[in-house]
Amino acid sequence: MSTSEVVAAPPAPEAPLAEPGFWTRWSDRMNPILVREIQQAMKGRAFVLTVFVALAISTVIAAAVAGNHESMPRAGAEAFNAGLATLVPMVLFVVPMQAYQSMRLELRAGIVEQLFLSGLRPRSILFGKLMAALVQFALYVSVMSPLLATSYLLRGVDVPTIVVSLVLALVFCIAATSFAISSAAQAILPAMQAFANLGAALVLGIGTFSLVAYVGSGEYSRDLPWLLRSNEFGIVMSLIVGGGLCSTALSLLTAQSFLLHSFENRSTGFRVFMFAMIPVAFGWTWIFVPATYWDGAVPAATFFLCLLGAVFGVFMTTEQRALSPRVFAHVPRSPLLAAIAAPLLPGRDRGMSCLILYFALVGLLALCWWPPAPPAPSGWTYREDMFRLLLFTGAYALVYLGLAKALRSRLPASVMGNHVARFLVVIMLFAFCLLPVLIDAFTRGRVDWHWGHAMNPFWTIERHAFRTRDQSPNAVPIALTALCAAAALQLPAMLRGFAEVLGASSARQRRQAGTAVQSAGT
Amino acid sequence: MTPLLEVRDLSRSYGKVQAVRELSFAMARGQVTGFVGPNGAGKTTTMRIVATLDVPDRGDAFVDGVSVLIEPRITRSRIGYMADQFHPYPNLDVLQYLDFFARAYGLAGRKRLQTVRLVASFCGLLEFADRPATGLSKGMGQRLHLAKTLLHDPLLLILDEPASGLDPRARIEFRVLLKELAAAGKGILISSHILSELGETCDSVVVIEKGARIVAGSIAEMQQSVRHEQEVLLRVLRDAEAAERFLLTQPGVSQVTVDGSTLRFLCTADDQALGELLARAIGAGLSVVEFARTEADLEDIFLKTTKGRLQ
Repeated sequence: MSTSEVVAAPPAPEAPLAEPGFWTRWSDRMNPILVREIQQAMKGRAFVLTVFVALAISTVIAAAVAGNHESMPRAGAEAFNAGLATLVPMVLFVVPMQAYQSMRLELRAGIVEQLFLSGLRPRSILFGKLMAALVQFALYVSVMSPLLATSYLLRGVDVPTIVVSLVLALVFCIAATSFAISSAAQAILPAMQAFANLGAALVLGIGTFSLVAYVGSGEYSRDLPWLLRSNEFGIVMSLIVGGGLCSTALSLLTAQSFLLHSFENRSTGFRVFMFAMIPVAFGWTWIFVPATYWDGAVPAATFFLCLLGAVFGVFMTTEQRALSPRVFAHVPRSPLLAAIAAPLLPGRDRGMSCLILYFALVGLLALCWWPPAPPAPSGWTYREDMFRLLLFTGAYALVYLGLAKALRSRLPASVMGNHVARFLVVIMLFAFCLLPVLIDAFTRGRVDWHWGHAMNPFWTIERHAFRTRDQSPNAVPIALTALCAAAALQLPAMLRGFAEVLGASSARQRRQAGTAVQSAGT
Repeated sequence: MTPLLEVRDLSRSYGKVQAVRELSFAMARGQVTGFVGPNGAGKTTTMRIVATLDVPDRGDAFVDGVSVLIEPRITRSRIGYMADQFHPYPNLDVLQYLDFFARAYGLAGRKRLQTVRLVASFCGLLEFADRPATGLSKGMGQRLHLAKTLLHDPLLLILDEPASGLDPRARIEFRVLLKELAAAGKGILISSHILSELGETCDSVVVIEKGARIVAGSIAEMQQSVRHEQEVLLRVLRDAEAAERFLLTQPGVSQVTVDGSTLRFLCTADDQALGELLARAIGAGLSVVEFARTEADLEDIFLKTTKGRLQ
């Protein structure tokens, strides 16, 4: 068989192409992923089947309510509870798991890489998936809406309850879907696949069952009207919506990072997110929390930010040390800008600088805005207690993260090394906390605090940060010394991190100058 | 003139495995370059770096003068990368699949519809337009994969083992498509294990082993380079033993093997010396019916230049 025999026959003359229809022109403005997901859903069986099941359940509930003639409001409330309990698994499990499956499909055999080669950025891909989930959410709500309307007409619930419930369902759906997408994206690393599957199934499963139980038991329809009438409604709603949006942002950031840079050290987005949480947390306290509650809310916000910093710190100090070649090539040309940007650029040395800056900023803001609370029964003022708490937390964070850095430097300079180091840090914390307790229990027969437990941050802080001056006279100087020593030990590495960034900046300047000379020569 | 693709001192390691080490080569516009090497030689890693899907530890690659490291987005608009595996989306037909990627490449309205039909027609997919993308044969699947790669009219096509798993007919069809693309001025960097096919398609070849370049250049140059000890075929009508005795007495001739009336031997002579050898053979009374140099094909070049070491 010769080549000429095999060549396909010349294509038949084609009919002239028709003008693009309304749908085509309209869909040009939409995210391509959303268009494709809708096309796939329309042709697939799973989606149609789920909608059919939702409709069937809705009909069964409606029929059951229609048979209950004793009390209209009670029947309405029951219809609302049943309808919401049906909607919860749809929007909290089915929609996120479909997004999870869809993301897994993209990752199969590098399909997602083909998307990156097109004009789509990871952000567009993730938003496309999220929008597809929102379309499904709207569909499920519309399927259940006759039931919700019936419950209102039977005077079982009022309109604000229905509206708030739907807003909460939307927030939970977005947060759960972004979590599912993020879990699926982490499976791009084969070692993470099992954790991703297990995590998604457990979190979504447990969350859904808990909420179904809460709603189905009728507790929800009793609690929400009370909350609507109370003064705390704004605080609680803003906390839930804000928390949902922040967790969505973090999930999408994680997914984006895994999708595009699974092999590369690029953590700037997470560092910016961490700093962005400072105005978010303090801003929320300032806007939504009445001033009378600040004595509790400001320390709570500060503690949340410290916790966030410690968790992010584990990730930042267990990264690879050097800038990846691509980031190296994009460091700002101006040395000043490069130096300012340095703490936000990847690398564990710069991660430590970033963390120290973060803790300093949180501590400064917290101390400036500390509520003038009355003296505690111990004789200490609240401000001093919290100062001690911050000091101890900062000292422990720096000591542990310094150890984490040292541990990471002994592992291979690969992404897998980062993940292994993170697991080892958690194990190290457990070992430092548990081993002395076990040794005490077996050798002395009793467990009480002594210097052997100094590396147990929880117990030490509980014992020495909140007690009277008499019980821990040296606690503050020791914590301060530990903090300064840990920071001083990190200083050379931090300077090296800055030097690398400045080196990259000057390399970029030289490259630019070389290109300019070449252009002039041409 | 700026080469279409220039790979400069590229290095990439995964842990202790050095996948690519200081690899450099270049290819011109409209050229089809075969990228050859044993399994694990670093071909896919290099292609993925050029396609901006991986980042080198050191070195850089330039597509039409644009650095893949510094300007990955501009690079992506100039390349079409066809990975060795193809998994289409379920519940989409062929045209919907192409339409999706056309949207992803930013094509809109009438232009998108035209491009999708044009590319589908070029790849012979129009008659399968309504068929599910997952229901295509391997050969048609590769055509769909290629069609998707062509949607944004790239300057450089990077094809990683495009013919693997195809039956002979599908291979020939695919080769014809590549020749048409090369004729249309596209640069093509193609890796394959089917060296005989690469030999028919490529203008030049880059051979790598253990991540490092072994040899690079046009196929004609390569044939010349391995020709210093070429194999020559001599067929006589009768008395092959006399022919063997004659050959063993000639200067520059070695490793004479006899298979019936056909003799093969290695000779270090150039064209003129070969002509003189033939004249002497006829003068010695040998009944020569065939005397020809066996051209080194890509497989010979590959075997002679690589040692088959894996990493």
